[in-house]
Amino acid sequence: MEENKEQILIRRLLTKEEAAWKELFGNYSGNLAGVCSRYLSGKDDVHDVLQNSFIKMFRSIATFEYRGSGSLKAWMIRITVNEALKHIKQHSGITTNDNLEEFPDIPNDEEPDFEEIPQAAIMKMIRSLPDGYRTVFNLFVFEKKSHKEIAGLLGIAENSSASQFHRAKGLLIQKIKEFEMSKKAQYE
Amino acid sequence: MNNRWLNDLHRKMEDHEENVPDGLWEDIKDELFSGEEENGLARGMMLEADDKKESKTISVSKKSTLFYRIGGMAAAVAMLFFTGKLLLEMNTEKTNPKITVHSENADNLKNAGKKITESVKTGKNESVNTETGEKYSGQGNILTEKTHIAVILDKIFNNEAINNKGVSASGEEHNIISLTKEVRPAFHLSPSVDGNPVLKKEQDGGEIFNNHENKLPEKYAVNDKPKISGRQPKKWMLSMLTGNVSSNSSEQKFPGYTSISGSPMTFSDFWISGTDPDPLTEVLLANQSKEVEARIRHKIPVTFGVSVYYNLGKKWGIGTGINYTKLTSELHSGSNSNYIKGDQSIHYIGIPVQVNYNVIQKGRFTGYVTGGVLAEKAVAGKLKTKYIVNDEVQDEQDERLDVKPVQFSVNSAVGLQVKIIDKIGIYAEPGIGYHFKNENQLNTIYKEKPLNFNMKFGIRLLLD
Repeated sequence: MEENKEQILIRRLLTKEEAAWKELFGNYSGNLAGVCSRYLSGKDDVHDVLQNSFIKMFRSIATFEYRGSGSLKAWMIRITVNEALKHIKQHSGITTNDNLEEFPDIPNDEEPDFEEIPQAAIMKMIRSLPDGYRTVFNLFVFEKKSHKEIAGLLGIAENSSASQFHRAKGLLIQKIKEFEMSKKAQYE
Repeated sequence: MNNRWLNDLHRKMEDHEENVPDGLWEDIKDELFSGEEENGLARGMMLEADDKKESKTISVSKKSTLFYRIGGMAAAVAMLFFTGKLLLEMNTEKTNPKITVHSENADNLKNAGKKITESVKTGKNESVNTETGEKYSGQGNILTEKTHIAVILDKIFNNEAINNKGVSASGEEHNIISLTKEVRPAFHLSPSVDGNPVLKKEQDGGEIFNNHENKLPEKYAVNDKPKISGRQPKKWMLSMLTGNVSSNSSEQKFPGYTSISGSPMTFSDFWISGTDPDPLTEVLLANQSKEVEARIRHKIPVTFGVSVYYNLGKKWGIGTGINYTKLTSELHSGSNSNYIKGDQSIHYIGIPVQVNYNVIQKGRFTGYVTGGVLAEKAVAGKLKTKYIVNDEVQDEQDERLDVKPVQFSVNSAVGLQVKIIDKIGIYAEPGIGYHFKNENQLNTIYKEKPLNFNMKFGIRLLLD
């Protein structure tokens, strides 16, 4: 039973058993590192945020309520994202207008095809987005936040969130197209 | 625009993993499992965080705005000017816990800091107050207040001059009286708080200021009425009353979290196992290692209205009319910096039926006993919920209250009326009221304190 395994781990985590926490770390740290890397570009930043997140989990595991398979992971991601946002706010700060003019408004009503593109490449594209855009994009697409929520979280205006997202999307589509073109060029 | 590909992107990247930074586990292990130090360390870190918050609040508080300041001053002035000792003494038993006020402050000031730009004048005032120290800050305020007295008086007299009709003058006065009464708790509180009395006054002042503004339209409505009923026989008396319950702002406390109705919250309703965090979970998450408490504070009801009295013979009179009451309650659930804040306001329209008996009449004074029933219907209700994490508003929800109960109450009072000039008298009615329980979810001061003492002030106008 998969579910039981998760629940047993949680019970062990509650007793603050070192081995259990190591297991948790082993199971989820890769994924959480992925989440962090989407938000933060520096390796050291990822390290710090993950460390803080695990410490936070350790301290607050007692308040975690098991709500079925995957809820532990969702809880961990939630903490990690919050920590990442905190880190961004403390260090670089949220850029509100991020030179919108710098990047042309790309018409992005086409659906890009990224089936063939490896995860690592997509990750690289997301990470290459300008900081402000990337944060908004991540929160919207991966954390499923509304622009209103994002605006509240980052302390920016709601329409600023929407426009940053729009441009982030455009940039990403452009990057995906470029990637496909370069691949085609390789074959030809 | 089609955003389906974004969902695909989410799905594709969901299980993506990155290389874990080297030595991360070792660092975490050191932090968490290096023997007995762990607890102390964690506590130390938390303390530090709290300290930071504290200083943040203070620095923000310095940016408090001219608006609140003036509101507070105006209210305080009006209070000093009109009510005096009598009212102060009536309220001596009333003190509110400091914490509530502090958190309110934080919230209020934060908003202010965000929305309104800092003004130079406030900055100056603040520095004066802090320099003279807490003890004298009250005095500093009074000095500035004095200049405002003149302004307010000017306003009143101008008004009187422009509108020669006694009605509008009384309207203005009436308004001020209602204003002053609201200030009482605020003023009274200041000695009991050792923190920053000025700020608190200011904050309460802000609230009062708002209330005052709300009343303006109502005032005009009141002013219009006499014209319509102007042709009534002399026996009819029109009165405007404003009243509020002195010493009756009440507070309920609960351990843990509650909703505004006072019932404990069930988290199962809110916890969704999906990936998107909702604001409530953020509050819960932020409070996980802290003591939580819920407080519901019912503010003093504000009542005003118009009524007509019909004299039956020399001694007896019956009266009816219409009045409006606003009940506001505040919920504060959670810890000091992470909490759920609910503001409930319910508007009642009521029809009173009163019987008056004039006990004594000597010159300008009339002493009377009155008793009656009041049926009030809630006409509108609103519940505003804010989720605040780390003193920042994470989310805000507005909700209309659909429960619109009818509230019955009986009341009795003794009154003293003094004729100021020919057709205008002011009266004061200390009384007692009882609100019958009704089975609804609205948690109001009526439910919390069915029996209350109240003090109504008003102006009666004898019509020709």
